[in-house]
Amino acid sequence: MPFVCNFPFFSILLSLFSGTVCSMLPAKKAKVVNRTVILAVGLMSAVLLLYLLSTGDAYIYWMGHFPAPWGNEIRAGVLEAGMALFFCIIMYLSMAGGAHKLPGEVVESKHNLYYILVNLLLSSLLALVYTNDMFTAYVFVEINTISACGLIMIRQVGRTIEAAVRYMIMSLLGSGLLLFGLCIMYDLTGHLLMSNIKESVGLLMANGEYQIPLIVSVALMCIGLCIKSALFPFHAWLPDAYGYSTVSSAAILSSLVSKGYIFLLIKIIYRVIGFDIFNSTRIIDVLFVFGLMGMIFGSISAIKENDIRRMIAFSSVAQIGYIYMGFGMGTQAGMIASIFHILSHAATKSLLFIAAIGLTDVSGGSRKFIDLTGAAYRNKWAGAAFTAGSLSMVGIPLFSGFISKLLFAQAAVQMEGKMLASLIVLGISTVLNAVYFMKTVIRIYTSAPDAPYKGITFRDMKSYAVALVCFILLNVILGVSSQPIVDMIGQGLAMFA
Amino acid sequence: MGPNLFANYGEAVSAILFCIGFTNLLLQTNLIKKIIGLNIMDSAIYLFLAEKGYIAGRVAPIVANGVTSTEAYINPIPSGLVLTGIVVSVSVTALMLSLTIRLYLRYHTLDLDEISTQLKKEGK
Amino acid sequence: MYLILSSIFFPILAGVFLLIRYRTPLSGKKNADSKALTTLTGCFLIVTAGLVIASLLTAEDGFTLFYLTKTLPIYFRIDSTGTIFSLLAVIVLLCAGFFSFEYMKHEERDNRYYGFYLLIFGVLNALCFAGNLITFYLFFELLTLASMPLVLHNGSREAVMAGLKYLFYSLCGAYAALFGIYFLYRNCDSLTFTTEGALRASAITGHGGFLLVVAFVMLLGFGVKAGMFPMHAWLPTAHPVAPAPASAVLSAVIVKAGVLAIIRVLGMFGRDFLRGTWVQTAWIILTLITVFMGSLLAYREPVLKKRLAYSTVSQLSYILFGLAIMNGTSFAGALCHVLAHGFVKAVLFLCAGAIIYRTGKTRVEEMRGIGKEMPLTMWCFTIASLGLIGIPPTSGFVSKWYLAVGSLESGIPVFDVLGPVILLVSALLTAGYLLPLTIHGFFPGADYDYNMLQKKEPCKLMTVPVLILTILSILVGLFPEIVINLIRMAVTG
Repeated sequence: MPFVCNFPFFSILLSLFSGTVCSMLPAKKAKVVNRTVILAVGLMSAVLLLYLLSTGDAYIYWMGHFPAPWGNEIRAGVLEAGMALFFCIIMYLSMAGGAHKLPGEVVESKHNLYYILVNLLLSSLLALVYTNDMFTAYVFVEINTISACGLIMIRQVGRTIEAAVRYMIMSLLGSGLLLFGLCIMYDLTGHLLMSNIKESVGLLMANGEYQIPLIVSVALMCIGLCIKSALFPFHAWLPDAYGYSTVSSAAILSSLVSKGYIFLLIKIIYRVIGFDIFNSTRIIDVLFVFGLMGMIFGSISAIKENDIRRMIAFSSVAQIGYIYMGFGMGTQAGMIASIFHILSHAATKSLLFIAAIGLTDVSGGSRKFIDLTGAAYRNKWAGAAFTAGSLSMVGIPLFSGFISKLLFAQAAVQMEGKMLASLIVLGISTVLNAVYFMKTVIRIYTSAPDAPYKGITFRDMKSYAVALVCFILLNVILGVSSQPIVDMIGQGLAMFA
Repeated sequence: MGPNLFANYGEAVSAILFCIGFTNLLLQTNLIKKIIGLNIMDSAIYLFLAEKGYIAGRVAPIVANGVTSTEAYINPIPSGLVLTGIVVSVSVTALMLSLTIRLYLRYHTLDLDEISTQLKKEGK
Repeated sequence: MYLILSSIFFPILAGVFLLIRYRTPLSGKKNADSKALTTLTGCFLIVTAGLVIASLLTAEDGFTLFYLTKTLPIYFRIDSTGTIFSLLAVIVLLCAGFFSFEYMKHEERDNRYYGFYLLIFGVLNALCFAGNLITFYLFFELLTLASMPLVLHNGSREAVMAGLKYLFYSLCGAYAALFGIYFLYRNCDSLTFTTEGALRASAITGHGGFLLVVAFVMLLGFGVKAGMFPMHAWLPTAHPVAPAPASAVLSAVIVKAGVLAIIRVLGMFGRDFLRGTWVQTAWIILTLITVFMGSLLAYREPVLKKRLAYSTVSQLSYILFGLAIMNGTSFAGALCHVLAHGFVKAVLFLCAGAIIYRTGKTRVEEMRGIGKEMPLTMWCFTIASLGLIGIPPTSGFVSKWYLAVGSLESGIPVFDVLGPVILLVSALLTAGYLLPLTIHGFFPGADYDYNMLQKKEPCKLMTVPVLILTILSILVGLFPEIVINLIRMAVTG
């Protein structure tokens, strides 16, 4: 086995231990360590991705030399490596984009704590992406929850602590359901490794045994992960958690944490239950309906919102609805569209959060729309970035959002039964998106001659502006040359089987 | 249904406990009661796992008196899972408790709804 | 390849440059360096026009810029239909652009105006040169976005609401069209434009009924941009609130993008596929309703720019009616009317703008004696009015003639006669709402106080563009042969 194959293990371990190291370092050094680790992990994932693309096959990595049914395993394919790379890019850019706000939001003495949490979050995300063992996945889901909760409450005001409690409660409900579902699955199949469970599930289905407990178990796991990733009826915790935490936290939470759970769900669908068996249950219809409802109600809540960051947070609810709608279609094309939307939404939503903070900063820190009037003139970079992000969200061609909508629609057209519903809701939601995002764009570009706030220039915020430009580029790359990425997703899904 | 339920009473009890814990965690407004609900929920799952791993007439998987035959012991994996789970739930409980303390010190109440109303009054 | 690309991207980059370079002062005052700004914009406009003409003359081959996804290329090509629209766009944008150098002196934030004006220029060129449906759609969306800042230019609450309304309607329409594009994509071998229909034969026999619904949805969707009933309400709101030269561009050129879109869609489905179906009947009914209703509403409207906007609603549906008849003669008439209406409506809006600029009057009844004050402007206005009504030898006559003849030839039951009748009634209404301005403008009546009269003719920068457009509108009427030949080429492909 070539050396490259150790990289997933290394990257999980590296980010885990760098967290421990950070706790002993002063804030400045912790920051350097944090950035280096993210970069190193990103680099390793990139190399791994290239290696996997050249071999064209996924591999399984034993943790501690115990063979299949007993040992713990890591599994890496194109999709896993690609996700890890993408997560690293987004995380790096989000950290860079929010760095200038950190001193104002978090007390000085807690800075290294912040970096510990980020590293821990990265390691749990990587573990969720790479692991081949259900129980390991559960443990890292909890670690992910704890570190995400920490990221929310590290800005110590009443709102964030309350938001953290609410987030925690909903997450615990979700992980309780996940664990229970997992235990039933273990009970039925006697395995914890994904590949082994899949074999047993296939056998059980073929023999027609234990159908009901199997469905119950799958349903519990799905609902658990839906709660954790804020699918529509379970989204109550989301606006506060994203709306009041620090900038980087909000960007990372919205674009990565929920995506980690969704990725785990994809793995469960493909690697644990089997795509066809999953599609033969009624669960996908439920996901489909909730996805559609999320798309509409999320947007409506966003329209009613008067606070820019909460508005962006509500928009996440709608976007997560898109992803679940893709799952609900129950076709390969729908799945590819969903995975592409995971990327596209991650790139866009973090861009929006970071751009929004630039706008509120030059409006006296207020997030009310009325105060944001003309903010784009006071901070040009943030204004342009917010506009680009909005255009992508609305689905204007040349941005990533258009491609994901195109993929969703292409997937829908192939589905006779769910075609009309999904196309109509896609249309309504696009228009609703346009209403609130364009409203904001017009607002920030309406000049306010008597606004008492000072503008800000490029010199004051170099790393911030560079992060924004990188985000915009990422968006445009996803929007213009989507084909290689879509091919890669297809290849990765083929490796899942 | 009836006889199955009776034969698997352990699982049935754990499912009922899980529901009790889940409802408490979801619906209680008092934070401490919520945390108790969380613990009931987790314990229910451990009970379920322990029940699944238990084989009647065998002992815990700790080699005693030199008996090494696997026939003598129960399945060790669920016990391992329970141990891991307990670690996780302890840390989560600790985190929740610390958050509760912070909220209590700030708002002098354990009622989550009341805290929300106070927050709205603060208007931030 | 490079000429086409530069005619698209040069104005876009120039527009972006203007937006960045000449920033709006925070205090909302006028730009100090507005002279440099106008000079620069003028140069950009002329260079762009030169590039477009050059690329039209060299008639380059089509080329693919890049692939959006594996099967969706961004493809550009020049064909004769595109040429007609592109000529119209260049001339009107150039004239209205020079007109606005003077007009914008009494408006704020002219940097934003010129920046987006150039952006629109580039996007329109791209729209005319687009070679397949997905490229077209891309720039169709961009056109909406680029033209919205012109609508909400003055930033008042009314303007912003109008801008949002415009955006809302356009996006709804574009989405309905996109809905259709998905199905076309599935049922065609490629999305490259044709005039004979690109549907697979198997698709037509398989689910032709469903494809008709798709065609209708696409017509409605793109029809939003062209102000077709029942989705016309944005047009009379959005066009009048823009600065006058921008209204001219919106009414004369940008709405034509909807017409171009419908021509393309018609080509994709093939006229033979749609002829004689319920889609054609429904479409004809909708256009006739719009023609009549638009004229009627214009007749009752007291504010001049709003009246002109309603008139646009009505006149555009003349064009759509010609397309809906689906034979060669009416198609030629429709394309001819695209040019005629483009020039004429630009003149009318620019004249209205000149009146607002010099006198501040917006309502029709205030404009008594205006012909005495601004004779040249009002003469142009009068000639353009005659053109719109369709009195020979002006341009409107030729196009309406072809429309009516085409309709009579078509042999569609009821509508072959009803169509021309409604066109005639509407022409009478057009006379009714445009000529009173001329009459009261030149003959204010006995009680008019001539002592109050002042010469208010605007400066040359305003009158010359208007004059050029007026002359062009007459030329189209005097020498229809040249235009018709060009259009023949477009009809035959």
